[in-house]
Amino acid sequence: MSEGTDFSYEVIVCGAGHAGCEAALAAARMGAKTLLLTGNVDTVAQMSCNPAIGGQAKGHMVREIDALGGEMAVNTDTTAIQYRLLNASKGPAVQAPRAQCDKKAYQFRMKHTLELQPNLHLFQAMVTGLIIKKDQVEGVETNLGVSFFGQTVIVTTGTFLRGLMHIGQTRSEGGRMGDFTSKGLSHSLIEAGIELERLKTGTPPRVLGGSIDFSELVEQKGDEKPVFFAFYDTRGEEDLFHVEHFGQIRQGWQPGDAQVSCWMAYTSNATEHIVRENLTRSALYSGDIEGSGPRYCPSIEDKYVKFPDKDRHLLFLEPEGRHTDEWYVNGLSTSLPYDVQHDMLRSIKGLENVSLLRPAYAVEYDFAPPTQIFPSLESKIVENLFFAGQINGTSGYEEAAGQGLVAGVNAVLKNRGEDAMVIGRQDAYIGVLIDDLVTKGTSEPYRMFTSRAEYRLLLNHGSAELRLLKYAERYKLLDNKRIGKIREKLKLVEKWTVALEAGKTTGGTFGDWLRRGGSEDTLPGEFLRLGEATKNEILYRVRYRGYLNRDLGQISRFSNLERIKIPYSYDYQLVRGLRAEGVQKLSQIKPANLGQASRISGVNPADISILMVALGTKRRAV
Amino acid sequence: MPFDESIVALSTPTGESAIAVIRVTGGLCHQLVTYIFNKSSPQPRKATLADYIDENGLILDQVVYLFYAEKASYTGEEMLEINCHGNPLIIQKIIEDLLARGCRMAEPGEFTKTAFLNGRIDLSQAEAVIDLIQARSEKALDVARKQLDGAVGKKVNQLIDKLLEIIAAIEAYIDFPEEDLPPEGDPGPVSEMNALVEEMNRLVSTSHYSTLLHEGVRTAIVGAPNAGKSSLLNVLSGEDRVIVSREPGTTRDFIEEPIMVGSYIVRLIDTAGIQEPGSEIERMGINKAIEQLDRADFVLVVLDGTLPCPTLLLEQKEKFPEGRVIVVENKIDLPDQMDHRSVLTDFPHCQVSALTGEGIEKLRKSLAQSLETGLDVPDEGQIVVSARHADALKDAIKSVIEAMNKLGEGIAIELVASDLRNSLDALSRITGKIDNERMLDKLFGTFCIGK
Repeated sequence: MSEGTDFSYEVIVCGAGHAGCEAALAAARMGAKTLLLTGNVDTVAQMSCNPAIGGQAKGHMVREIDALGGEMAVNTDTTAIQYRLLNASKGPAVQAPRAQCDKKAYQFRMKHTLELQPNLHLFQAMVTGLIIKKDQVEGVETNLGVSFFGQTVIVTTGTFLRGLMHIGQTRSEGGRMGDFTSKGLSHSLIEAGIELERLKTGTPPRVLGGSIDFSELVEQKGDEKPVFFAFYDTRGEEDLFHVEHFGQIRQGWQPGDAQVSCWMAYTSNATEHIVRENLTRSALYSGDIEGSGPRYCPSIEDKYVKFPDKDRHLLFLEPEGRHTDEWYVNGLSTSLPYDVQHDMLRSIKGLENVSLLRPAYAVEYDFAPPTQIFPSLESKIVENLFFAGQINGTSGYEEAAGQGLVAGVNAVLKNRGEDAMVIGRQDAYIGVLIDDLVTKGTSEPYRMFTSRAEYRLLLNHGSAELRLLKYAERYKLLDNKRIGKIREKLKLVEKWTVALEAGKTTGGTFGDWLRRGGSEDTLPGEFLRLGEATKNEILYRVRYRGYLNRDLGQISRFSNLERIKIPYSYDYQLVRGLRAEGVQKLSQIKPANLGQASRISGVNPADISILMVALGTKRRAV
Repeated sequence: MPFDESIVALSTPTGESAIAVIRVTGGLCHQLVTYIFNKSSPQPRKATLADYIDENGLILDQVVYLFYAEKASYTGEEMLEINCHGNPLIIQKIIEDLLARGCRMAEPGEFTKTAFLNGRIDLSQAEAVIDLIQARSEKALDVARKQLDGAVGKKVNQLIDKLLEIIAAIEAYIDFPEEDLPPEGDPGPVSEMNALVEEMNRLVSTSHYSTLLHEGVRTAIVGAPNAGKSSLLNVLSGEDRVIVSREPGTTRDFIEEPIMVGSYIVRLIDTAGIQEPGSEIERMGINKAIEQLDRADFVLVVLDGTLPCPTLLLEQKEKFPEGRVIVVENKIDLPDQMDHRSVLTDFPHCQVSALTGEGIEKLRKSLAQSLETGLDVPDEGQIVVSARHADALKDAIKSVIEAMNKLGEGIAIELVASDLRNSLDALSRITGKIDNERMLDKLFGTFCIGK
């Protein structure tokens, strides 16, 4: 770069994983001049673990990302090679779309999206440190010796901060196999006063498809009629481009075409024997690993040790793409050494002659406990510095992407001097995710479950656009045309939800009829001619009316608390009557409002009552 | 506003008093006036005399009520003030009825807090609220701490653990659909839910005992006119409180007198004599006496040792609570004794003279003994829950039963989970907030999740 090159940006994003990509796109799409730095542009949006997007609660979040103008949904739809709607036999609130993706296609398409995005500069350089002055971040230093200046900086470094990989007793530095680690940034954060702790995660082995005897496995096909992640009824197909399409005439497969299968296998008695014989050689059981791993994704060692009565464990073999014969062995995460992994795999029916392509490994990395950030994802310690993704202690592509999007939006809002976008727990899983992180912190990699949402029934995947419309409108996250279409859809949904309760049929209203399990075929023709997505949402609201109202009732009861804001600099020491534990917890978390305060562990209802009075006093005095 | 929550509290001190004031505030008040007092458009701030009619259509008491409209009440929300007679039983019945109609017990200081939040009281008053909340919550905390060490806290936490295990089993199916879990529809949770409901019901039933401890054992003294019921009450309570007259049928309404027997407060209730009624007034008295009999925890049947046993009294035998009756053969000081040992043979008999006091000590002893054996006294160390806890437990039971019904009908499992969560919320009113992490601990501890 020559003299006079502008090194200044409104937003700098460090890391181009799932969080970083969404953060950079969101900022650039809001019109901010944005720099996205990555150590390697070939590994943009890499799926480091399983080749799938979505699933329970995660699929919901991907749809929410689409409703907020993010990219993950479309990127998944256009690169997916198998679609399944999970929980299809259960109610709409807990049904969730999931897709197996072509890993490389996913990356290429995301990379090209970044390349095409106005205001966005994608650049390959490794961030070695932050430039922080007077508790404010001003930019980043890179391994190229070049510094970049940004009004706001978003850190989305995943597992790369002091990443340490374990295969058996062999250790190597790196955030992902084949990639580097970042030490400088950790030091920079610690120097700034940000606390870091360690977490652990892992990934199973990859094997060669040609060496698998599929005739011994059980096939799991995709759904004939796929449920997509993006809302095509409001966004229109013109936004779609496929990885094989750009700059060309459309060719190749269309989303949902030519789906591939996954395959199920089971561990055998021999597998158990091999694992037990070699437990002491596992990094997990030899005491080499200090970070806590996720309970929902235990290693095979843990499965045998903690569930000794279970005689076999289910495994899924998942293809990693259309142009590779690499297969992911889901369920066989381990930190046992290579030779044990080899024997273990070969003890499984169908894998007797399997050829290992990449070994499983565990990775330990630094994360910044998220009670150190605001609901905006901005650091409480360093101003203008935002964190998103695994560095906040989460796990999963979707959790990362959701945070990335919010961090991108809030970085821009911060630059403009506007209030941050904070999504309510009743509006989206993304809201639940961030509120949980900043209010409670986490001691294991945090993954979203539907059970974490107290208003789960209101968060059905089909309503994501309607739930999030107010945010999309207020922060201009979608183009006007789509906003208009969502408004129209919402109007129709509201109109028909009322109309079906008013319209009479045999033995009551249409609503009664539907709730008694009546078929929708007898509903008015005008209703039946509505679009599929609109119709489904109306039917859901009518059929589940009582339950949805129960949740709405609770929300309105708690909304008082959410509305009472607490100033950031509020001095809890001065509040008469607050218990010492309450003062300590509140001072640490610095909740944004009384609602958040009430969710902090160690803060009791009496504390909230006292605060309520104290805050009311202040409000009046102003 | 359909989502409004209404809160209820006794505003006057607990225990016996001439008048008690029960206050309700929240959006339900208007509706309550309509249903309880059969008045669809109450005039605000007007004291009105009316019968309190409970959900089952029974008159609980004659009360004076005042209705306050929204924005024109102490709290700023609709408010209803019920002035009833200060009898703990009446108060309890009215509050129970209000809870059954959808109200919730108020937290300490909640009325004042509501008032403050609605801008009805000013700064200095608000300052006073802090002290109140603090004082009350300190006390509540103190009680909570004691209960946490004690049996109630432990017991409720066990119930919560069991409920969390049930929820975890259901949540596992919802959140981990592709795991190798036992087949869905496994009857496992149903039998566990049944067991849980039974256990909670047992706990609820102990709240009656805590009422007995607090408010005393309602002991009806029944018998024919002039059998000496009032004299017996007087001699037991040790003072001449009830006007005693030889004229039969003097006691038309009932008179109550608390005495200590052993470790119990016994509320002696004198009733009108039971015999074939002569007048309308007498008939009313007899009906009231029978009503008292229905509500009694204990019954003293007084027989005149010199007269035959009245048949109408014997006909009430069905109403005598098993193991909680003593037959008192009075007037042993008089000649011409008839032998009553052959009637009401299921119950212990005592021969006394209320006039001379002969046999009264023996009666007291017999009463104390019968109280120990006849009342369902929980075992040493067994848990007795308060009415407030029972209120929460009943809500929890209701939700678990709803969840079970849904499982039986094959209704979507997330709705079953929704009911169970409601149940958990109800129990959390006893113990404080229950973090979802506790459920996840159960889930990951029970099921091998790890796709």
